[in-house]
Amino acid sequence: MDMSTWNILLVDDEVEFITTLAERLELRGINARGTHDGESALKEVAVNEPQVIVLDVMMPGMKGLEVLQRVKEAHPKVQVVLLTGQGKTRDGIEGMQHGAFAYLMKPLDLEELIHTLKDALQSGRGNRHD
Amino acid sequence: MTDIAGEARFMGAVTALTMHEMQNILAIIRESAGLMGDILKVNARVDFKHRPNMERTLEHITTHVERGKGLLEATSRLAHSPDDDMLDSCDLAVHARVVALLSERLVRLKGASVNFTPVPAPLPVAVGALRVLMIGYQSVQWAVGSGTKDGHVKVELEPGQDFHIMTVVPPQGVTPDAKALDCIRKLLDDGRLEWDGRMLRIFFPVRK
Repeated sequence: MDMSTWNILLVDDEVEFITTLAERLELRGINARGTHDGESALKEVAVNEPQVIVLDVMMPGMKGLEVLQRVKEAHPKVQVVLLTGQGKTRDGIEGMQHGAFAYLMKPLDLEELIHTLKDALQSGRGNRHD
Repeated sequence: MTDIAGEARFMGAVTALTMHEMQNILAIIRESAGLMGDILKVNARVDFKHRPNMERTLEHITTHVERGKGLLEATSRLAHSPDDDMLDSCDLAVHARVVALLSERLVRLKGASVNFTPVPAPLPVAVGALRVLMIGYQSVQWAVGSGTKDGHVKVELEPGQDFHIMTVVPPQGVTPDAKALDCIRKLLDDGRLEWDGRMLRIFFPVRK
């Protein structure tokens, strides 16, 4: 799978986290960009629809689960991978019920993230846990 | 729950929020170390004097982020244990692992380590998460006694029909005080415990 064709949007209010993660993905040839809140994520999705959004659940302002629902309503083909806290599987499960493709716990394992992105892109549609 | 439920919830809510911040801090440290590692790999042919020191340091960071991740998960589970949906039942498979993680430091101070054997399937029990953690933690504390050298406390699980069982095996050469089990026994409303001189078996009623 050619990773240079991937179009990934990273959404998290932790600027250093998102910037560094985007750089690491870019070093692997993956096109990744970041936004730092729910509102700007929705604007970004409307202008340049990504294939996959990696979305933090707990952000100031619009929460991740609300962003997820709004993205899924307007852009059902966009896959969403949620980032949840350690031990907070409940958020992840709720997200899956609202159409998230998968959820991963922070701190991330980069290889696991790339593997999940690959699965999300290959799945083509909907939620693999449907 | 006891009458300190409100205080437990408050402490849990504040701790959970703090743990969320800690998780962000660890995530930034991990990605930053990862990026430095990536850059070293990309420039593998460029030799410089302190490359081995740098590689070793990055390895330490990664190892300790992993260590922190385990503690973070355990503390976060502890913080969420007074939540409404955890008051009357929980997953023993998850919370026994949390007991093992949380008691690691305590056991290490006694010169021993914790060996936890996970089980693949959930073990729902009709006992609240906070109560399970208290019983499990105090059992490990009891089992390690006044200390040992290079011993292991084993924490294992045994699924059952009416009861799921948590087994705590003290380190070899340690004989804990059986009388001290009374305070743990008091925490078991509908469960029971058995001590045969070799292992402690705690019976948690299955959530039907």
